[in-house]
Amino acid sequence: MLRSCALTLVVYVEDEAAGREVNDLISEVMRENPCRAIVVTAERDAAPAGLSARISARCTFPAAGEKEICCEQVMITARGEAIAGLDHVVIPLMVPGLPVYLWWRAGRFSPPPSLRPILRAATRVLVDSATFPEPQVDLQNFSGHVRELAGEVVFTDLNWGRLTPWRELVAQCFDSVETRPYLDRLTEVQIEYEDLSNGARVQRGQSLLLAGWLASRLGWEPARESVEGSRIGQPFLLRAGGRSIRIECRPRRCQTEFAGTCVSVALKSGGDSPAEFSLARGSGVNTATTRMEISGRPPIERVVRLEPLEEVRLVNEEIKFAGRDRVYEEALAMVAGMTAPGA
Amino acid sequence: MVIFGASGDLTQRKLVPALFYLARERLLPAEFTVIGCSKTPYTHERFRQKMQKALKEFSSLSAGDESLLESFTKGLFYISEDFSSAQAYGKLVEFLEQMDRERGTGGNRLFYLSTPPSFFPVIVQHLGATGLTRPKFPGKSWTRIVIEKPFGRDFESAERLSRTVTSVFEEKQVYRIDHYLGKETVQNLLVFRFSNGVFEPVWNRRYIDHVQITVAEELGVEKRGAYYEEAGLVRDMIQNHVVQLMSLVAMEPPATFDSTAVRDEKAKLMRAIRSMPRDQLDQSAVRGQYAAGWVGGQKVPAYRSEPGVSPASTTETYAALKLYIDNWRWAGVPFYLRSGKRLSKQVSKILIQFQRVPHLLFRGSGADSIEPNVLALRIQPNEGIALTIGAKLPGATMQIRPVKMEFRYAESFGAEPATAYETLLLDCMLGDQTLFNREDAVELAWEFLDPVLTRWKEDGPKGLSFYEAGSWGPAEADSLIEREGRHWRRP
Repeated sequence: MLRSCALTLVVYVEDEAAGREVNDLISEVMRENPCRAIVVTAERDAAPAGLSARISARCTFPAAGEKEICCEQVMITARGEAIAGLDHVVIPLMVPGLPVYLWWRAGRFSPPPSLRPILRAATRVLVDSATFPEPQVDLQNFSGHVRELAGEVVFTDLNWGRLTPWRELVAQCFDSVETRPYLDRLTEVQIEYEDLSNGARVQRGQSLLLAGWLASRLGWEPARESVEGSRIGQPFLLRAGGRSIRIECRPRRCQTEFAGTCVSVALKSGGDSPAEFSLARGSGVNTATTRMEISGRPPIERVVRLEPLEEVRLVNEEIKFAGRDRVYEEALAMVAGMTAPGA
Repeated sequence: MVIFGASGDLTQRKLVPALFYLARERLLPAEFTVIGCSKTPYTHERFRQKMQKALKEFSSLSAGDESLLESFTKGLFYISEDFSSAQAYGKLVEFLEQMDRERGTGGNRLFYLSTPPSFFPVIVQHLGATGLTRPKFPGKSWTRIVIEKPFGRDFESAERLSRTVTSVFEEKQVYRIDHYLGKETVQNLLVFRFSNGVFEPVWNRRYIDHVQITVAEELGVEKRGAYYEEAGLVRDMIQNHVVQLMSLVAMEPPATFDSTAVRDEKAKLMRAIRSMPRDQLDQSAVRGQYAAGWVGGQKVPAYRSEPGVSPASTTETYAALKLYIDNWRWAGVPFYLRSGKRLSKQVSKILIQFQRVPHLLFRGSGADSIEPNVLALRIQPNEGIALTIGAKLPGATMQIRPVKMEFRYAESFGAEPATAYETLLLDCMLGDQTLFNREDAVELAWEFLDPVLTRWKEDGPKGLSFYEAGSWGPAEADSLIEREGRHWRRP
């Protein structure tokens, strides 16, 4: 048997059910990233106040001839006032000398004060903006946290991770010398995200991040005179030099069950030689179609693999990195700028 | 073995359990006898019962140890006297003679001073006056004295105590005990440095960026408020334990592993510690005191609210120092020392941070900052050694992550290591002074700490920082190290 640990993973949840749910996910994370997991359940309004903890070992069944690998897991539950001392319980449990990842799994990012020292001790903080209940407001606030703690805390977003293949595929459209000039002629972007058929409100955070990425990478600035984008269904207006760019994020009903995720993106350029570059998820969930239509040429279409990325896979990916993701930070700041009142 | 202050905590928690372990390992002769001395009115039997109870509480007994315990406690005796008066020593002489006759102790005497420090000179002088400091049978028996810390409260009092002790004892009879030096991992420090060819060549300013020594306690002052008000953290921890650790990390290789050679090198090292100029003290010393906070999920009071502590106390419960050693090996390498009560974690650790690689080969490949190698020597708990190295994360991209190469005592060696007091008491009985402090080392430690303590005393509340109990100390201690582009590593 081999006790193994390459990092500390602190998972923050705010109720018991979420704590149980995360237990299952952790064993999958450990398979790829042997770690000491510290699951912190902070029940803010629970009574009586108090703190309890238990420890366990998680071992994988070894393949023939290999050693059994065991990882440590600590479960801490803090109720009521005891949350104030959480940092003093969690920090001493972090494995010295190895990276620490904090996985915020409690919806809207609003850490209690006692979590601040834990955030600062972390190499990276993982949030999932897909779980933000009010994406536009919450992304704004989250961007504020990222800005305020820049230099002290490094944030990353699983929802941004879900966009990675989308960003790769969009960028690939402009890899060739012939298509690259169209980047400076884009005038319209349409992003569709999956809506639910039952009419429930679906968050569009992912589409906003995609829009923020395009705008920040291409140097577009939110147009000051417009307030339109802050309401769902209305476009954002941006400017680049003398050019206006309109970005529209709109819901679309689908047969699948990935509410809020991007369904398609289309980038259109105007001028003498209009063109459209698009990426659309297929009717199945594992493929997408890219299409380039440039005036005067036959359209180029291809089908690519585009699987939905599960939470554990996203966490395992993010754990591979240690430094700041400046592209994400700039995209997030752009979302905040685009959706700010008066933008 | 005569223990002065035998009704105190140290005797029941540490000394008697250590002696029992030694007896259990058949390392003590059958004639071995303990005479507890104190004012508390115990009979021999009452003292034995108390020690039996303590042994059950504070030591790990195995099945079958009952009969050993019974036999061991038969060798415990007690004299209830006021040992600040000469009369008591007459009784002690008589009793020792009686023991020699009845138990065949052969005239060997080991005096252990486990009293408050103010009694040290009085007891030593009385021992001298009654002739107990001289071996009973010169050349055939021995007489030694063990002195517990603190060895004085400043340079002057240490020197005075030293003069008193050496006026009646020879230095070779004096064993100044610092239990830290008896810890297996502290001794292993010398083994690690001087029996592994790979480390000593890089153990110098060319390869080491800086050294951090942390001795942190979760506990507050508990019932020792009144003592602590007089002592403070520097006298309680830094002057002895932390400075000792530093000297073992930094000293030159001794020619042999004998007490004179090792202690010569330690003293030489301490002579090379740069004194801290009074006017620049703020740049190299930080003191703090714990405020209320949370430790282990429990709310704990501020130091000033502890029993026996003044509500306006300026006594430090935390100190961080930056020291330089002015010699060929360590010129320009800072040693950051910190110790405190009510800190985040109970841990004693030495961290050697090596210099970063001179050229960043992987720039632009996602591995822009590579963590320097860190060698961690864990004194307690989880005794062991870990070396952090950078490794490539599997995958297409060049990501570098620190990983650990680790040695843990508990995993590599099945046997439980001996407790520090076991080691030291045995060494003392065998006449090996290597792990004990010599007079010059004690005085040298005071010499460079005195200006700090004097300045803090003069400053009173000015410059005293507060830290939340359960944290890693005051923010000023972070600034002490961060202003030079470094940071305290999580121990």
